[in-house]
This record gives sequence, structure tokens and C-alpha cells, in this order.
Amino acid sequence: MPTWQLRLLRGRPGGSPRLEIYRVELPAEAYLIDAVEKIWAEQDRSLLFRHACHHASCGACGVRVNGRERLMCITPLREFSPDRPIQVEPLRHFPWLGDLLVDVSPMMRRMAEVGFAIVRQDELTADRPLPEGIERITRFEDCIECGLCLSACPVMAADEAYLGPATLAAIERMLKEPRGGDTARLLTLADDPHGAWRCHSAMECTAVCPSNVDPASAIGRLRRRLIAERFRRWIGGGR
Amino acid sequence: MKEAPRWKRASGWVDLRGRREGGLAFLLMRLTGIGLVIYLFIHLYVLRLLAQGPEAWDAFIAMAKSPLFLALDGLLILGILYHALNGVRVTLLGLGIGVPHQARLFWGVMALTLLVTAIAAYAIFTIAG
Amino acid sequence: MWIWQAFTGLLLLILLTLHMVFNHFVVEGGLRTYRDVVAYLSHPVVFTWEILFLVVVTAHALMGVRAILLDLGIGPGTDRWLKRGLTLLGLGIIGYGVWLSWWIRSRGA
Ligand code: HEM
Ligand code: HEM
Ligand code: SF4
Ligand code: FES
Repeated sequence: MPTWQLRLLRGRPGGSPRLEIYRVELPAEAYLIDAVEKIWAEQDRSLLFRHACHHASCGACGVRVNGRERLMCITPLREFSPDRPIQVEPLRHFPWLGDLLVDVSPMMRRMAEVGFAIVRQDELTADRPLPEGIERITRFEDCIECGLCLSACPVMAADEAYLGPATLAAIERMLKEPRGGDTARLLTLADDPHGAWRCHSAMECTAVCPSNVDPASAIGRLRRRLIAERFRRWIGGGR
Repeated sequence: MKEAPRWKRASGWVDLRGRREGGLAFLLMRLTGIGLVIYLFIHLYVLRLLAQGPEAWDAFIAMAKSPLFLALDGLLILGILYHALNGVRVTLLGLGIGVPHQARLFWGVMALTLLVTAIAAYAIFTIAG
Repeated sequence: MWIWQAFTGLLLLILLTLHMVFNHFVVEGGLRTYRDVVAYLSHPVVFTWEILFLVVVTAHALMGVRAILLDLGIGPGTDRWLKRGLTLLGLGIIGYGVWLSWWIRSRGA
């Protein structure tokens, strides 16, 4: 079994973060999340990181692997060579909580503001009792709210107030199928200097999204819609 | 990260680590844009010589035909071409057109920029020679 | 604002290409002498065209500057002043350019 070298960013807010090397033995069929979990289990219980599903659907395990945004649970170790350390760092553009963990609540708040929740009750969940404290089950379309796109976006780096690719994609999705939602409010939210017009088409969100959301195209469609609306208002004086 | 100092956030767009073609295209777009604005100011300032009569301007033109100036012209053309061609790419992408081909479009822009710059540079040196 | 950046950009594609070609390439010797410039700008269509170019580049360039400055973390209050400042600067540049071209043109007549 090969021994893998992982170089993890360690530290807590307030202190100065450092990169530390860890070694773990795992078969090449394993994934990066397995390696990080093993380090946590056998070497350092204080290691902070997030995960839940292990299969790219909860969006919790986003990190930067050798600089690039990835989900740990679908990053196979096979991709790397045991001779060279695999560098793992937390996502950018989120408040850092320590080690590999960031606070994703700024993104979640914006998603909630959009009301992005296309309800899907499938046959498996429809007649099951809901867990305590949960009122209803919602499924967010393709977007798993992992935040990789926000971390990859250079505009997000500069402008905290930017709505960000995931949120803009969510708005576009909601507009397509509003199900009685308030489309005017969504359009106003998007039609803002920090909204759809803020994007500089660096295309990193789409390049990095693990779930085929393609936020860059969504922002483009959103802009076309906004232009059309503006034009309609302009010639029609209302709707 | 939120607690990063302001200057660090402000320079975030320069940071190419972990970014690919699209990020590079954006950075180059910005750098050429800034370069062109600076050129525009210098250019307009130099044009004031035109108001000072034939001697002033023609002396400048004689200087502008030195190889150094012509080479700078080449640099200017390189910048303009990249900015203009990528401007078309960005306009299309910004409207959601051709996003799946963005990386290939970027290399196309690069290739066309270099090709046309080479032709233009050749033309500049032969015409002025 | 992005729409205007893109729209003026596409206009510039034509305007700037022609500017470069006419001032730098089709001219004998590569660059215009004083006499050439005066003769060039004396033509009313050329004159109008160059003024249009002046206005469009200035607008595009200064909107671009604002877009970049916005990324330095400028708030809405500062942005309002920034817009005013850049508008003033733009009008100054256009005023200067129009004056200059007019003055040059008047040498020819
Ligand atoms: C020749 C045709 C040109 C085209 C097609 C063009 C197109 C564009 C486009 C589409 C953008 C928006 C990019 C984005 O959203 O990030 C842009 C930005 C910009 N342009 Fe141009 N442009 C042209 C010429 C010029 C010239 C002559 C100047 C300067 C005098 C200039 C200065 C700028 C600046 C400063 C920016 C802002 C860059 C940024 O936001 O990162 N452009 N241009
Ligand atoms: C190296 C190539 C260039 C040459 C040889 C050149 C030459 C000239 C000349 C001779 C004039 C005065 C006559 C006229 O208005 O046509 C002029 C004006 C002008 N140029 Fe250029 N130019 C060049 C590139 C550029 C570029 C890249 C820009 C934009 C960033 C630009 C912007 C302008 C503007 C706005 C005017 C009008 C000024 C006015 O109306 O007073 N030029 N140029
Ligand atoms: S759009 Fe893609 S990258 Fe962005 S949060 Fe959703 S799933 Fe993640
Ligand atoms: S653990 Fe759920 S997406 Fe990776």
C-alpha cells in the first residue's frame, strides 16, 4: 500500500497558519477525504474539516487541492504521486474558522434570500416521517452549495458585496421556474452593480463547479433577461 | 477570507494561483486596459505639440520613427489587439454565449493577437524604414 | 454599466482599427507630418469620425477605470464621488480634444 504525503494548512484565526506534512498509508483506490479522515482519526484529533455524504452531494468537503478548488470526496488519490505532497488548504473568500474549515454562512444567507428551494418530494422521502426539528425537505437543483465557485472567482476576491456565481445561478434557476415566487424581487436583486453586472467573465466558476451548474452561462442568461426587461419597460412603459 | 486586510483583498484579482485560462484572460484584459488608459493620456498630451506648430510636431515625428519608438508601437498594438479581441470574447461570454468553448476561444484570441501583431510589426518597420 | 462597457468596446473595435490604420499604416512614411494631420482633419467626415472616436474611447476608458477601482473595495458613497470626478475628467478630456482638433483644423482652411 502506498504512503501518501499530505501538506495541510493548520492553524486557528488569530495565530499564523502553517503548512504541515502528514503521512498516511492508503490504497490508490481511496479518495482524499479518506486520507484526511485517517489523519484526523490516527494522528491529530484537533484537525478541523467538514464532510458528510462522501459522494458529492452535500457540498461540505470543498477545499483547495494544490491550489485548485475541489471536493475531497471525489478527488481520487490515484491522481497524485506518493512522492510529492498533496497540498490541501481551505476555500478562499470565506471567513476562516481554522485548519481546512471555513464559515459558509455568508453564502447560505444569500441563497436563503433568493429562496432557492425547488421542492422535490420523491417516492423515497414523500411518506417518511421528517427528522425532528425539520419542517420540510427541499432539494436544491444541481447546485450543492459547496462554495467552490465563490472561492475560485477573482471578483469575489475583490468585492465582498458581490452576490457571487452560485447565488446568481440560483436566481436564474428560480426565474425559470418561479412556482409562484416573486420574480420582480429576484430581478431587482440581480439587477445591481454587485449583482449580475459585477461579473467579469473570468469563467472560473464554471471551470471549477463539480455539479454542472455552469454559473457563468447562467449569469449570461440572467443578463439577457435583465436587458430584455429593461427594453420592455423602456418601450412599453410597464408591463 | 474576510479578516484579510483590505489591500490584500483589493489585490485579489491579480492572484493567479489556482486559476486557469479564464482567470488569466481576465488579468490580461485588465492589465492591457490599464495600459491603454495610460497610453491615451500620454497620447493626448503629446498631441498638444500639434497646437505648437509644424516644427514641434515634425521634430516629434522624426523621433517617433526611431527603432525604440517603433518597438513601443509594436507593444501598443499587441496590447490593443489582445484587449479588443478578448473584448469580443468577453462580450459573448458575458451574455452566456459560447461558455463551454471559453478556453479554446482564449487560445484563439492569443494566436490571432500574436499573428496580427507580427504582421503589423513587419508593416511598421518596412513603411517607416 | 457592463452593457455600456461592452457596447462602447464594440464601437471602438471599428473606430480604433480605423484610427490606427489611417494614422499609422496607410500613410506614406508611417506617421503623419504636421501638414498631413492638418489636411487629414480638414475633411469634415474624418473630423466628425475622430471626434466620435474621442468621445467613445474616453467614455469606455473611464468606465473601465471605475470598474477597476470598484474592485478596490469602494463603497456606495465614495463611488458617487468617483463617478462625478470621472465624469468631470471625461468632459475635460473631450473638451481638450475637441479644442485641439478644431484648432488644428482651422490651420488648414
Ligand atoms: C478596441 C476595441 C475595444 C474593445 C472591443 C474593448 C472591450 C472591452 C470590454 C468588453 C471590456 C469589459 C471587460 C470586463 O467586463 O472585464 C473592457 C474593459 C476595459 N477597457 Fe476596453 N475595449 C476596447 C478598447 C479599449 C481602449 C482603447 C481602452 C483604453 C483607452 C480600453 C480600456 C478598458 C479598461 C480600462 C477596461 C476595464 C478593465 C476591467 O474592468 O478589468 N479599452 N473593454
Ligand atoms: C500608434 C498608433 C497611433 C498613431 C500614429 C496615432 C496618431 C494620431 C494623430 C496623428 C492624431 C491627431 C489627428 C486625428 O485626430 O486623427 C490622433 C488623435 C487621437 N488619437 Fe491617436 N494615434 C495612435 C493610436 C491611438 C490609440 C491606441 C488611441 C486610444 C487609446 C488613440 C486615441 C486618439 C484620440 C482620442 C485622438 C483624438 C484627439 C483629438 O480629437 O484631439 N490613438 N492620433
Ligand atoms: S454553483 Fe457549483 S461550484 Fe458553485 S456552489 Fe453550486 S455546486 Fe458548488
Ligand atoms: S462529503 Fe459531501 S460533497 Fe464531499
